[in-house]
Amino acid sequence: MSDDVRNLINIDRLIHEPSRLAIMAVLSACENADFTYLLNATGLTKGNLSAHLSKLEDAGYVKIVKRFKGKYPNTLCSCTASGRRAFDAYWKQYSALAERLKQ
Amino acid sequence: MTSPSDVKQLIQDTRRYEFADGLRDLQLAIFFVTSGAAAWLVFQPFWITLIGDLVERYGRGAAWLGILVLFIAPLAVIGMLGLMNFVRKRWLWRESGMVKASRWVVPRRVTVLSFVIIVAGLAFAVLARRQGWVEDSFILRMLWVATGWSFGYTLIAMGRELDLPRYIWLGVIGGALSTILLFLDLTFAQVALVFSLTWGLLLSASGIFTLRRAIAAQDAGE
Repeated sequence: MSDDVRNLINIDRLIHEPSRLAIMAVLSACENADFTYLLNATGLTKGNLSAHLSKLEDAGYVKIVKRFKGKYPNTLCSCTASGRRAFDAYWKQYSALAERLKQ
Repeated sequence: MTSPSDVKQLIQDTRRYEFADGLRDLQLAIFFVTSGAAAWLVFQPFWITLIGDLVERYGRGAAWLGILVLFIAPLAVIGMLGLMNFVRKRWLWRESGMVKASRWVVPRRVTVLSFVIIVAGLAFAVLARRQGWVEDSFILRMLWVATGWSFGYTLIAMGRELDLPRYIWLGVIGGALSTILLFLDLTFAQVALVFSLTWGLLLSASGIFTLRRAIAAQDAGE
């Protein structure tokens, strides 16, 4: 089995899903972001974003804090340390693979 | 949304978000102006006389007034931070959402190198004084100049890292203007004031220009 194929098999599929990849990309670039920012940045619908965030939270990649700002609910999302490690590892693997495919 | 360039763009947009409205520039400008003004004030004869008179009249407790001046800059920064959060929550970021920026905008090596620039500048000044090439005040002037170089370098690195040309320009112009201070016959307090006003003016201009553009973009989007 070639290294490329092995890398492809070992890639983190939870992050590889396009919507979750977008969420992880945003959260890896900041301390935290609220639900509204994630909605605008990723272009997902509220339901979709919520579902993907739950999956990432279950995997321990994302921490979600729900609170109220006055009368309005406010959801803050942040990348956990393991989430950052997983995203960095994924991004390295993915970039290397994309580079190889170009060649 | 899956190509590497899209992901890179998302990361870049999120990292830039904190600096896209110019409020950070204004916060830094306030820090420079207040800290420079405080540094200038504590060296002024009228201020020293005033504190002396107050101590004579009201006892040693009055000397705290002189120390309180040093807290003006941190308090102004905290106040500006509160104002920034308020304006963003209520207005600028109300529709686009809130983001708390990463603690490290530039790589650690940039932070280390910016510190090295200050130390190297001071070391050069001390060496030059020992050799008798310059007078004593050169060392104190170099303290501000090296701080200007260091800050300019950090801004340039930040501009390159976030692909924000305005910070590259600010760093280059601010660094160059700081260098001029070396050749002016000014006291430590005067250099502090000129240095902080120069950086304050540059950052204010950048902040106001960027803020106006951000407001115009927001108005166009509504």
